[in-house]
Amino acid sequence: MNNIRKWINNANVSRFRFWVQILTFILFVYGSYFLIHIGQNLPTFACPYNPGSPGTCFLISVQHQMHTPFSSLFSWRGLGFLTSLGSFVLFFVLFNKAWCGFMCPLGTIQDWITKLRNRLGIRFSNYDERSFKRLSWIKYVLLVLLFLIPLAIANSFFGLPKVSHNMMSPFCQICPARIILPLFSGDTSQMFINFTNTTTIVMSSLAILVLALFFVGSFVKKRFFCFFCPMSALQYLFSRIGILRLTKVGDKCTRCGNCSRVCDMGILSIAEDITSVNVVTDNCMMCFKCVEACPEEGCLDVKVFNFKIFSSTEEGFFKRYNPDGDSKELPPLNSKK
Amino acid sequence: MQHSVSKDRFERMRKTGSIHYSMEIKKNLAEIVDKFPDNPKSMQYFYDRYEHFLSGDDSSFKGKKVVASMCIHVPLELIYAVGAVPVRICAGAYAMDQIGTEFLPAKTCPLVKSTLGAIYLDILPGNIDPVLIVNPATCDQKKKMGEMGEELSKPLYLLEVPPTKDTEEARRYWHRVIKRFVKKLESVTGNKITRRSLKRAIKMVAKAQAEYRRFNQLRKTAPVIYGKDAILVTNAYFFDDIERWTQKVSELNDELEKRIEQKIYVGKPHSPRILLTGSPSIFPNMKLPVLIEELGGLVVYEEFCSTSRMIWDTVAVDEWFLYDMIPAVADRYLKPSTCPNFTPNNDRKRKIAKGIEDFSVDGVIYQTFSGCQLYDMESRMVGNFVESMGISTLFIESDYNPDDFGQLTTRLEAFLDSLKNKK
Repeated sequence: MNNIRKWINNANVSRFRFWVQILTFILFVYGSYFLIHIGQNLPTFACPYNPGSPGTCFLISVQHQMHTPFSSLFSWRGLGFLTSLGSFVLFFVLFNKAWCGFMCPLGTIQDWITKLRNRLGIRFSNYDERSFKRLSWIKYVLLVLLFLIPLAIANSFFGLPKVSHNMMSPFCQICPARIILPLFSGDTSQMFINFTNTTTIVMSSLAILVLALFFVGSFVKKRFFCFFCPMSALQYLFSRIGILRLTKVGDKCTRCGNCSRVCDMGILSIAEDITSVNVVTDNCMMCFKCVEACPEEGCLDVKVFNFKIFSSTEEGFFKRYNPDGDSKELPPLNSKK
Repeated sequence: MQHSVSKDRFERMRKTGSIHYSMEIKKNLAEIVDKFPDNPKSMQYFYDRYEHFLSGDDSSFKGKKVVASMCIHVPLELIYAVGAVPVRICAGAYAMDQIGTEFLPAKTCPLVKSTLGAIYLDILPGNIDPVLIVNPATCDQKKKMGEMGEELSKPLYLLEVPPTKDTEEARRYWHRVIKRFVKKLESVTGNKITRRSLKRAIKMVAKAQAEYRRFNQLRKTAPVIYGKDAILVTNAYFFDDIERWTQKVSELNDELEKRIEQKIYVGKPHSPRILLTGSPSIFPNMKLPVLIEELGGLVVYEEFCSTSRMIWDTVAVDEWFLYDMIPAVADRYLKPSTCPNFTPNNDRKRKIAKGIEDFSVDGVIYQTFSGCQLYDMESRMVGNFVESMGISTLFIESDYNPDDFGQLTTRLEAFLDSLKNKK
């Protein structure tokens, strides 16, 4: 048992994650070709616009079901929404926000773009603290809008006129996954500007703009899009009941900042916060790079319920960040290699 | 060398200074080695280093460019990466302290006086002739001492250190300071920092850190080595060739492991376990740890900038390119530091608390050099905090002068006895 634990703690989780991401990418982008169907309420970007998708992103379900008059929403029909929320939560609690770090195809694409940038040796950028705090709100605004706009299509708020049907599934209309993921199945039909009327022109142009931002942004900043992702916001609302947990023992922390340095999302609180036990924040995607980079014994732990499955250790740290990674011996000083 | 001192006088000072210095080294080393039975065999290397090295009888640095540093805030990795060798010249010699008194106010901290004296007389460890002496602006005395160094026409370089480490502004400022420092290093040595050289340097230091952490683990497991030896080991990190140091510590660790198996322990089963903190003990000023252990205490952990604070923390790089490696190295020398020049400094309290818990400490001894304002002012905060954990503290103000030996003995004896009674 101890040997297994040691082996895991010394492991390179990022490499493991890389391969898991490839597998889940195949699953969530090509799954239906393997006759897999996982349901309508997945807590990740499995996009039904993509013919290969094995399921549906929960955000679509939300937008569809909010497109209901209040009278029916608060009748028995409301149960429909509750059950789909329930199945979303059931999926979600299994892996908590690791859905983002390990399974989201859009996240995986961003990680690949980061890898490409890394290959080219181009530096990345980060938000400063103030922008970080300000921008963190955007995903909640998007989340609220994707509830409110469909409601406003079916209902009149305060006697105001109803919103046009062209605003159906407003988030999908601007979501980069809707355009990118079908491309992987060879379907380019989502790359268009809809000239039906003004609203569609605006929304579909916006989508192209967001798409461009997605590529440029994620080339400059790691996991650029995740910062604004309403799915991430929605997930965070349920994060506390997740089975998979990321916890910290504040007393063991030297606040050296290794964890926040390597964090793709640039979360500072993981290093600065020495009182919280649960250190999953709304921007966290549970990639566990922080645990890998922590050299203090048992300071950061990944747990399933209260059972530790991966902990920060000295040995593991030096295995991952140290000469042994490449070779036992240091290269000679003036090697040209 | 155009100080008010005449050339003739300077020569005389240098001569007497170096004689006193080597006498001090011999005498203090003898105290450390001979008064204790059964020192680990691998310690012999370190004893020899002090004997030969500090007295200049050493050729480790022939043909190498040396960058001298005066503090733990100087990023060693960067110095290695430009092909130079860092040597920390913070001095602990009373003989040099007396020389420094010539230039500095009487109430200056002995460490600063001693270091300046050594720079002035050119009696640096290993007879080095540094191309750059890096002086981090930590405390006011060091800052101002730097100005004196300029007067002595020494290549002093002021490395700015922010007064706090928690804010983003401080971190950005520090990153810029380090970038400028890299430029300076490159121009002084004529070598460019490359991706490869810095990566190698980071890994080289990481190896040393891994070995030091193993050393600490062993000390945690059992009372297997005296604190005075442990301090000597870390103290050698100041000036030893880092790869050889790592090798030798590894040998020492192996020997200690064997000793743990054979249950060869130091001290007595009921020796009070002491945590030392405050102004750093630097060889040859080892009177406090040596005295404690002569009187039957056992120093199990030191929260000094000459020991754990210097080596413990590690560098984590996300992307192995200069754009990420240099900030990563910079962060490591700012964020985890528990130097009292940072305000607030709650991390120091937390570190001491962790030390107390990990090493099952019975009492804390807080050393302040007379004139060291920062440690003096923090003593109250730390003292209250430690007392609140139910651990007794002893506050000791001392300097490099061996005259207070008698008084120290009385106080330490009383403190250790009270701890023994508690046990």
